[in-house]
Amino acid sequence: MRVALAEDGALFREGLVMLLEAAGHEVVGCTADGDSLIELLARVPADVAILDIRMPPEPDGGLSTAERLRAAHPGLGLLFLSHYAEAHYLMRVLRIGTESIGYRLKEKVGSVDVLSDTLTRIRDREIVIEPLLARRLVERPSANRRDVVASLSEREVSVLRLMAEGRANGGIAGQLFVTPKAVEKHIANIFTKLGLPSDAAEHHRRVLAVLTYLRSQQDGT
Amino acid sequence: MTLEPHDAGGARRHRADEHWDRRRDLERQLHDGPALRIAALTLRLGLLARKARDGTGDLQHDIEDLQGELHIVLQELRAIADRIYPRLLQEAGLGPALRELASTLPVPVRVDAAAGRFDPSVEGVAYFAVLDVLEDLRPATRTVDITVRRDDDGLALDLRNVDTGQGVTVGDRIRWLGGAIEIVGGGVGTIKVRIPCE
Repeated sequence: MRVALAEDGALFREGLVMLLEAAGHEVVGCTADGDSLIELLARVPADVAILDIRMPPEPDGGLSTAERLRAAHPGLGLLFLSHYAEAHYLMRVLRIGTESIGYRLKEKVGSVDVLSDTLTRIRDREIVIEPLLARRLVERPSANRRDVVASLSEREVSVLRLMAEGRANGGIAGQLFVTPKAVEKHIANIFTKLGLPSDAAEHHRRVLAVLTYLRSQQDGT
Repeated sequence: MTLEPHDAGGARRHRADEHWDRRRDLERQLHDGPALRIAALTLRLGLLARKARDGTGDLQHDIEDLQGELHIVLQELRAIADRIYPRLLQEAGLGPALRELASTLPVPVRVDAAAGRFDPSVEGVAYFAVLDVLEDLRPATRTVDITVRRDDDGLALDLRNVDTGQGVTVGDRIRWLGGAIEIVGGGVGTIKVRIPCE
Protein backbone atom coordinates (compact mmCIF):
# COMPACT_ATOMS: atom_id res chain seq x y z
CA MET A 1 0.00 0.00 0.00
CA ARG A 2 1.19 3.55 -0.69
CA VAL A 3 1.28 5.53 2.52
CA ALA A 4 2.08 9.20 3.26
CA LEU A 5 2.47 10.48 6.78
CA ALA A 6 2.70 13.70 8.77
CA GLU A 7 3.91 13.72 12.36
CA ASP A 8 5.85 16.48 14.11
CA GLY A 9 7.67 14.20 16.55
CA ALA A 10 10.80 13.07 14.68
CA LEU A 11 11.37 9.95 16.79
CA PHE A 12 7.86 8.61 16.36
CA ARG A 13 7.87 9.57 12.67
CA GLU A 14 11.06 7.63 11.97
CA GLY A 15 9.82 4.64 13.95
CA LEU A 16 6.58 4.62 12.01
CA VAL A 17 8.38 4.78 8.65
CA MET A 18 10.54 1.80 9.65
CA LEU A 19 7.54 -0.22 10.80
CA LEU A 20 5.56 0.62 7.64
CA GLU A 21 8.46 -0.47 5.44
CA ALA A 22 8.95 -3.64 7.48
CA ALA A 23 5.26 -4.35 6.87
CA GLY A 24 5.92 -4.11 3.12
CA HIS A 25 4.21 -0.76 2.52
CA GLU A 26 5.60 1.95 0.31
CA VAL A 27 6.12 5.23 2.19
CA VAL A 28 5.65 7.82 -0.56
CA GLY A 29 6.68 10.67 1.73
CA CYS A 30 6.70 11.93 5.27
CA THR A 31 6.43 15.46 6.63
CA ALA A 32 6.46 17.21 10.00
CA ASP A 33 3.30 19.27 9.47
CA GLY A 34 -0.05 19.29 7.71
CA ASP A 35 0.63 21.95 5.09
CA SER A 36 3.67 20.08 3.74
CA LEU A 37 1.61 16.90 3.58
CA ILE A 38 -0.98 18.65 1.43
CA GLU A 39 1.74 19.88 -0.93
CA LEU A 40 3.25 16.41 -1.07
CA LEU A 41 -0.05 14.71 -1.87
CA ALA A 42 -0.79 17.21 -4.62
CA ARG A 43 2.21 15.73 -6.46
CA VAL A 44 2.35 12.09 -5.31
CA PRO A 45 -0.58 9.68 -5.13
CA ALA A 46 -1.18 7.56 -2.01
CA ASP A 47 -3.76 5.10 -0.70
CA VAL A 48 -3.76 6.21 2.93
CA ALA A 49 -2.46 9.29 4.75
CA ILE A 50 -1.46 8.91 8.40
CA LEU A 51 -1.84 12.08 10.47
CA ASP A 52 -0.92 13.05 13.99
CA ILE A 53 -3.92 14.95 15.41
CA ARG A 54 -1.83 17.42 17.36
CA MET A 55 0.72 18.92 14.99
CA PRO A 56 1.22 22.19 13.07
CA PRO A 57 -0.78 24.08 11.95
CA GLU A 58 -1.74 24.39 15.65
CA PRO A 59 -3.64 23.46 17.64
CA ASP A 60 -4.94 20.29 16.00
CA GLY A 61 -3.45 20.44 12.52
CA GLY A 62 -4.22 16.80 11.83
CA LEU A 63 -7.95 17.50 11.75
CA SER A 64 -7.84 20.68 9.65
CA THR A 65 -5.38 19.04 7.25
CA ALA A 66 -7.62 16.00 6.93
CA GLU A 67 -10.63 18.15 6.03
CA ARG A 68 -8.66 19.71 3.18
CA LEU A 69 -7.33 16.32 2.05
CA ARG A 70 -10.80 14.78 2.04
CA ALA A 71 -12.04 17.61 -0.18
CA ALA A 72 -9.09 17.37 -2.60
CA HIS A 73 -8.75 13.55 -2.67
CA PRO A 74 -12.07 11.90 -1.71
CA GLY A 75 -10.68 8.40 -2.28
CA LEU A 76 -7.71 8.84 0.03
CA GLY A 77 -7.93 6.92 3.32
CA LEU A 78 -7.20 8.87 6.50
CA LEU A 79 -5.72 7.42 9.68
CA PHE A 80 -5.42 9.65 12.76
CA LEU A 81 -2.94 8.73 15.43
CA SER A 82 -3.09 10.36 18.82
CA HIS A 83 -1.74 10.16 22.35
CA TYR A 84 -5.31 10.28 23.57
CA ALA A 85 -8.35 8.15 22.82
CA GLU A 86 -11.13 10.61 23.54
CA ALA A 87 -14.73 10.74 22.41
CA HIS A 88 -14.42 14.48 21.80
CA TYR A 89 -11.85 13.91 19.03
CA LEU A 90 -13.65 10.85 17.73
CA MET A 91 -16.76 12.93 17.07
CA ARG A 92 -14.65 15.52 15.25
CA VAL A 93 -13.04 12.77 13.16
CA LEU A 94 -16.47 11.41 12.24
CA ARG A 95 -17.54 14.84 11.05
CA ILE A 96 -14.78 14.66 8.45
CA GLY A 97 -16.10 11.34 7.22
CA THR A 98 -17.39 7.90 8.16
CA GLU A 99 -15.74 6.02 5.31
CA SER A 100 -12.06 5.14 4.84
CA ILE A 101 -11.14 6.77 8.09
CA GLY A 102 -9.55 5.66 11.35
CA TYR A 103 -8.61 6.92 14.83
CA ARG A 104 -6.14 4.99 16.95
CA LEU A 105 -3.80 5.40 19.86
CA LYS A 106 -0.17 5.81 18.84
CA GLU A 107 1.15 2.97 20.94
CA LYS A 108 -1.55 0.59 19.75
CA VAL A 109 -0.34 0.37 16.14
CA GLY A 110 3.10 -0.85 17.19
CA SER A 111 3.00 -4.19 15.43
CA VAL A 112 3.18 -5.08 11.74
CA ASP A 113 -0.06 -7.07 11.99
CA VAL A 114 -2.13 -4.41 13.73
CA LEU A 115 -0.78 -1.62 11.55
CA SER A 116 -1.46 -3.53 8.33
CA ASP A 117 -4.91 -4.62 9.48
CA THR A 118 -5.79 -1.01 10.33
CA LEU A 119 -4.54 0.29 6.97
CA THR A 120 -6.26 -2.48 5.01
CA ARG A 121 -9.61 -1.82 6.65
CA ILE A 122 -9.29 1.89 5.88
CA ARG A 123 -8.35 1.22 2.25
CA ASP A 124 -11.40 -1.09 2.04
CA ARG A 125 -13.57 1.93 2.92
CA GLU A 126 -14.17 0.81 6.50
CA ILE A 127 -13.95 2.92 9.61
CA VAL A 128 -11.50 1.95 12.36
CA ILE A 129 -12.01 3.16 15.92
CA GLU A 130 -9.59 2.53 18.77
CA PRO A 131 -11.03 -0.53 20.56
CA LEU A 132 -10.22 0.95 23.99
CA LEU A 133 -12.39 3.95 23.22
CA ALA A 134 -15.20 1.84 21.75
CA ARG A 135 -15.19 -0.30 24.88
CA ARG A 136 -15.34 2.75 27.14
CA LEU A 137 -18.23 4.25 25.19
CA VAL A 138 -20.21 1.02 25.47
CA GLU A 139 -19.38 0.42 29.14
CA ARG A 140 -19.91 4.04 30.19
CA PRO A 141 -22.54 5.50 27.90
CA SER A 142 -24.04 8.87 28.76
CA ALA A 143 -26.11 8.96 31.96
CA ASN A 144 -29.55 8.63 30.39
CA ARG A 145 -28.54 5.72 28.12
CA ARG A 146 -27.21 3.45 30.82
CA ASP A 147 -30.46 1.64 31.60
CA VAL A 148 -31.10 0.77 27.97
CA VAL A 149 -27.54 -0.44 27.36
CA ALA A 150 -27.76 -2.46 30.61
CA SER A 151 -30.83 -4.24 29.16
CA LEU A 152 -28.75 -5.75 26.32
CA SER A 153 -27.60 -9.36 26.59
CA GLU A 154 -23.92 -10.11 27.03
CA ARG A 155 -23.63 -11.19 23.41
CA GLU A 156 -25.42 -8.05 22.21
CA VAL A 157 -22.99 -5.89 24.21
CA SER A 158 -20.07 -7.65 22.47
CA VAL A 159 -21.66 -6.99 19.10
CA LEU A 160 -22.33 -3.35 20.05
CA ARG A 161 -18.69 -2.91 21.07
CA LEU A 162 -17.45 -4.30 17.74
CA MET A 163 -19.92 -2.06 15.88
CA ALA A 164 -18.53 0.89 17.86
CA GLU A 165 -15.05 -0.16 16.69
CA GLY A 166 -16.40 0.29 13.18
CA ARG A 167 -16.33 -3.37 12.21
CA ALA A 168 -18.46 -4.68 9.37
CA ASN A 169 -20.71 -7.73 9.83
CA GLY A 170 -18.10 -10.13 8.48
CA GLY A 171 -15.51 -8.72 10.86
CA ILE A 172 -17.87 -9.00 13.83
CA ALA A 173 -18.74 -12.59 12.91
CA GLY A 174 -15.04 -13.46 12.66
CA GLN A 175 -14.22 -11.93 16.04
CA LEU A 176 -17.09 -13.66 17.85
CA PHE A 177 -16.85 -17.00 15.96
CA VAL A 178 -20.49 -16.87 14.85
CA THR A 179 -22.16 -16.75 11.44
CA PRO A 180 -22.85 -13.42 9.68
CA LYS A 181 -26.53 -14.39 9.82
CA ALA A 182 -26.39 -14.52 13.63
CA VAL A 183 -24.66 -11.14 13.67
CA GLU A 184 -27.43 -9.62 11.57
CA LYS A 185 -30.00 -10.92 14.02
CA HIS A 186 -28.15 -9.48 17.01
CA ILE A 187 -27.80 -6.12 15.27
CA ALA A 188 -31.52 -6.03 14.50
CA ASN A 189 -32.28 -6.75 18.17
CA ILE A 190 -29.86 -4.08 19.36
CA PHE A 191 -31.36 -1.47 17.06
CA THR A 192 -34.86 -2.33 18.29
CA LYS A 193 -33.83 -2.08 21.94
CA LEU A 194 -32.01 1.21 21.42
CA GLY A 195 -34.92 2.56 19.40
CA LEU A 196 -32.72 3.41 16.43
CA PRO A 197 -34.24 3.42 12.93
CA SER A 198 -33.45 0.24 11.04
CA ASP A 199 -32.26 2.16 7.97
CA ALA A 200 -29.34 3.32 10.13
CA ALA A 201 -28.18 -0.30 10.25
CA GLU A 202 -26.37 0.13 6.93
CA HIS A 203 -22.68 -0.13 7.74
CA HIS A 204 -21.35 3.40 7.44
CA ARG A 205 -24.39 5.08 8.89
CA ARG A 206 -24.66 2.72 11.79
CA VAL A 207 -21.26 3.57 13.29
CA LEU A 208 -22.35 7.17 13.53
CA ALA A 209 -25.83 6.20 14.76
CA VAL A 210 -24.43 3.95 17.48
CA LEU A 211 -21.78 6.39 18.67
CA THR A 212 -24.15 9.35 18.64
CA TYR A 213 -26.60 7.28 20.65
CA LEU A 214 -24.01 6.37 23.29
CA ARG A 215 -22.84 9.97 23.57
CA SER A 216 -26.11 11.84 23.27
CA GLN A 217 -27.35 14.26 25.92
CA GLN A 218 -23.76 14.28 26.99
CA ASP A 219 -22.43 16.01 23.98
CA GLY A 220 -24.37 18.42 21.84
CA THR A 221 -21.52 18.65 19.36
CA MET B 1 9.42 42.96 59.09
CA THR B 2 6.07 42.03 60.59
CA LEU B 3 4.59 38.54 60.36
CA GLU B 4 0.92 37.86 60.44
CA PRO B 5 0.00 35.62 63.38
CA HIS B 6 0.20 31.90 62.55
CA ASP B 7 -3.27 30.58 61.85
CA ALA B 8 -3.16 26.82 61.27
CA GLY B 9 -6.92 26.54 60.80
CA GLY B 10 -7.33 29.56 58.55
CA ALA B 11 -8.69 29.25 55.06
CA ARG B 12 -5.57 30.60 53.42
CA ARG B 13 -3.34 28.22 55.35
CA HIS B 14 -5.66 25.36 54.48
CA ARG B 15 -5.45 26.23 50.80
CA ALA B 16 -1.67 26.37 50.88
CA ASP B 17 -1.45 22.99 52.64
CA GLU B 18 -3.77 21.52 50.05
CA HIS B 19 -1.68 22.90 47.22
CA TRP B 20 1.52 21.28 48.48
CA ASP B 21 -0.29 18.04 49.34
CA ARG B 22 -1.38 17.83 45.74
CA ARG B 23 2.15 18.35 44.45
CA ARG B 24 3.51 15.68 46.79
CA ASP B 25 0.75 13.38 45.66
CA LEU B 26 1.59 13.86 41.98
CA GLU B 27 5.27 13.17 42.65
CA ARG B 28 4.34 9.98 44.46
CA GLN B 29 2.08 8.88 41.62
CA LEU B 30 4.90 9.41 39.13
CA HIS B 31 7.26 7.40 41.26
CA ASP B 32 4.93 4.54 42.21
CA GLY B 33 3.46 4.17 38.73
CA PRO B 34 5.41 4.91 35.54
CA ALA B 35 8.89 5.20 37.06
CA LEU B 36 8.75 1.80 38.76
CA ARG B 37 7.17 0.22 35.73
CA ILE B 38 9.89 1.52 33.39
CA ALA B 39 12.60 0.38 35.80
CA ALA B 40 11.08 -3.09 35.80
CA LEU B 41 10.91 -3.04 31.99
CA THR B 42 14.68 -2.54 31.73
CA LEU B 43 15.10 -5.78 33.67
CA ARG B 44 12.61 -7.57 31.44
CA LEU B 45 14.58 -6.35 28.39
CA GLY B 46 17.78 -7.69 29.94
CA LEU B 47 16.13 -11.05 30.31
CA LEU B 48 14.92 -10.87 26.74
CA ALA B 49 18.45 -10.16 25.49
CA ARG B 50 19.62 -13.30 27.24
CA LYS B 51 16.77 -15.37 25.82
CA ALA B 52 17.50 -14.02 22.32
CA ARG B 53 21.15 -14.97 22.64
CA ASP B 54 20.32 -18.49 23.83
CA GLY B 55 17.54 -18.86 21.28
CA THR B 56 15.07 -19.89 23.99
CA GLY B 57 11.56 -18.74 24.80
CA ASP B 58 8.81 -17.21 22.74
CA LEU B 59 10.35 -13.93 21.66
CA GLN B 60 7.28 -12.65 19.83
CA HIS B 61 5.04 -13.24 22.82
CA ASP B 62 7.53 -11.55 25.17
CA ILE B 63 7.75 -8.48 22.96
CA GLU B 64 3.97 -8.15 22.75
CA ASP B 65 3.92 -8.35 26.53
CA LEU B 66 6.42 -5.51 26.78
CA GLN B 67 4.34 -3.41 24.37
CA GLY B 68 1.35 -4.00 26.63
CA GLU B 69 3.38 -2.81 29.61
CA LEU B 70 4.42 0.32 27.71
CA HIS B 71 0.78 1.05 26.92
CA ILE B 72 0.02 0.90 30.66
CA VAL B 73 2.93 3.26 31.39
CA LEU B 74 1.55 5.75 28.86
CA GLN B 75 -1.97 5.48 30.30
CA GLU B 76 -0.59 6.21 33.77
CA LEU B 77 1.36 9.19 32.47
CA ARG B 78 -1.76 10.53 30.74
CA ALA B 79 -3.75 10.21 33.94
CA ILE B 80 -1.09 12.13 35.88
CA ALA B 81 -0.76 14.79 33.17
CA ASP B 82 -4.54 15.28 33.38
CA ARG B 83 -4.13 15.96 37.10
CA ILE B 84 -1.72 18.77 36.28
CA TYR B 85 -3.86 20.36 33.56
CA PRO B 86 -6.15 18.39 31.24
CA ARG B 87 -5.15 18.86 27.64
CA LEU B 88 -8.77 18.83 26.48
CA LEU B 89 -9.56 21.67 28.91
CA GLN B 90 -6.82 23.73 27.35
CA GLU B 91 -7.81 22.96 23.78
CA ALA B 92 -11.58 22.74 23.91
CA GLY B 93 -12.76 24.26 27.19
CA LEU B 94 -14.90 23.26 30.17
CA GLY B 95 -17.74 21.49 28.37
CA PRO B 96 -15.70 18.91 26.44
CA ALA B 97 -13.28 18.41 29.36
CA LEU B 98 -16.10 17.80 31.87
CA ARG B 99 -17.88 15.47 29.44
CA GLU B 100 -14.72 13.44 29.01
CA LEU B 101 -14.26 13.36 32.79
CA ALA B 102 -17.87 12.22 33.24
CA SER B 103 -17.31 9.36 30.79
CA THR B 104 -14.53 7.94 32.96
CA LEU B 105 -16.45 7.93 36.26
CA PRO B 106 -18.56 5.13 37.68
CA VAL B 107 -21.29 7.56 38.83
CA PRO B 108 -23.72 8.73 36.15
CA VAL B 109 -23.07 12.39 35.38
CA ARG B 110 -24.92 14.59 32.91
CA VAL B 111 -23.10 17.64 31.61
CA ASP B 112 -24.95 20.53 30.02
CA ALA B 113 -22.44 23.15 28.95
CA ALA B 114 -22.81 26.01 26.52
CA ALA B 115 -20.01 26.43 24.02
CA GLY B 116 -17.60 29.29 24.66
CA ARG B 117 -14.44 29.79 26.64
CA PHE B 118 -13.49 31.43 29.94
CA ASP B 119 -10.13 32.65 31.23
CA PRO B 120 -7.66 29.77 31.66
CA SER B 121 -7.51 30.31 35.43
CA VAL B 122 -11.31 30.24 35.68
CA GLU B 123 -11.55 27.08 33.58
CA GLY B 124 -8.79 25.43 35.62
CA VAL B 125 -10.29 26.28 38.99
CA ALA B 126 -13.80 25.28 37.93
CA TYR B 127 -12.61 21.96 36.45
CA PHE B 128 -10.67 20.92 39.54
CA ALA B 129 -13.49 22.04 41.85
CA VAL B 130 -15.87 19.74 39.94
CA LEU B 131 -13.30 16.94 40.05
CA ASP B 132 -13.09 17.25 43.87
CA VAL B 133 -16.84 17.01 44.20
CA LEU B 134 -17.27 14.10 41.78
CA GLU B 135 -14.44 12.07 43.26
CA ASP B 136 -15.95 12.40 46.67
CA LEU B 137 -19.33 11.01 45.61
CA ARG B 138 -20.47 7.75 47.08
CA PRO B 139 -21.76 5.31 44.47
CA ALA B 140 -25.35 6.38 44.08
CA THR B 141 -28.06 5.84 41.55
CA ARG B 142 -28.96 9.52 41.30
CA THR B 143 -27.54 11.18 38.25
CA VAL B 144 -25.37 14.19 38.97
CA ASP B 145 -26.36 17.19 36.87
CA ILE B 146 -23.73 19.74 35.93
CA THR B 147 -24.57 22.92 34.06
CA VAL B 148 -22.08 25.47 32.84
CA ARG B 149 -23.32 28.86 31.66
CA ARG B 150 -22.08 32.36 31.14
CA ASP B 151 -24.12 35.03 32.92
CA ASP B 152 -23.63 38.79 33.24
CA ASP B 153 -20.89 38.42 35.86
CA GLY B 154 -18.96 35.51 34.39
CA LEU B 155 -19.08 31.76 34.94
CA ALA B 156 -22.19 30.17 36.44
CA LEU B 157 -21.64 26.53 37.40
CA ASP B 158 -24.34 24.44 39.11
CA LEU B 159 -23.74 20.97 40.55
CA ARG B 160 -26.98 19.12 41.39
CA ASN B 161 -27.34 15.90 43.42
CA VAL B 162 -23.92 16.17 45.02
CA ASP B 163 -22.64 16.03 48.59
CA THR B 164 -23.05 19.61 49.81
CA GLY B 165 -20.38 18.94 52.43
CA GLN B 166 -17.92 19.49 49.56
CA GLY B 167 -19.07 23.11 49.38
CA VAL B 168 -16.29 24.19 51.74
CA THR B 169 -13.54 22.76 49.52
CA VAL B 170 -15.13 24.29 46.44
CA GLY B 171 -15.41 27.63 48.21
CA ASP B 172 -11.72 27.50 49.16
CA ARG B 173 -10.73 26.83 45.58
CA ILE B 174 -12.72 29.63 43.96
CA ARG B 175 -12.35 32.35 46.59
CA TRP B 176 -8.99 33.58 45.35
CA LEU B 177 -10.60 34.34 41.98
CA GLY B 178 -13.23 36.42 43.76
CA GLY B 179 -15.86 33.72 43.29
CA ALA B 180 -18.74 32.81 45.57
CA ILE B 181 -20.78 29.71 46.29
CA GLU B 182 -24.28 29.05 47.46
CA ILE B 183 -25.44 25.74 48.90
CA VAL B 184 -29.03 24.65 48.44
CA GLY B 185 -30.26 21.75 50.59
CA GLY B 186 -28.34 19.67 53.12
CA GLY B 187 -26.69 16.29 52.57
CA VAL B 188 -27.35 15.68 48.90
CA GLY B 189 -28.19 18.99 47.28
CA THR B 190 -26.96 21.67 44.94
CA ILE B 191 -23.72 23.66 44.97
CA LYS B 192 -23.94 26.85 42.93
CA VAL B 193 -20.66 28.42 41.93
CA ARG B 194 -20.19 31.90 40.47
CA ILE B 195 -16.81 33.18 39.31
CA PRO B 196 -16.49 36.70 37.90
CA CYS B 197 -14.61 37.03 34.61
CA GLU B 198 -14.64 38.83 31.30
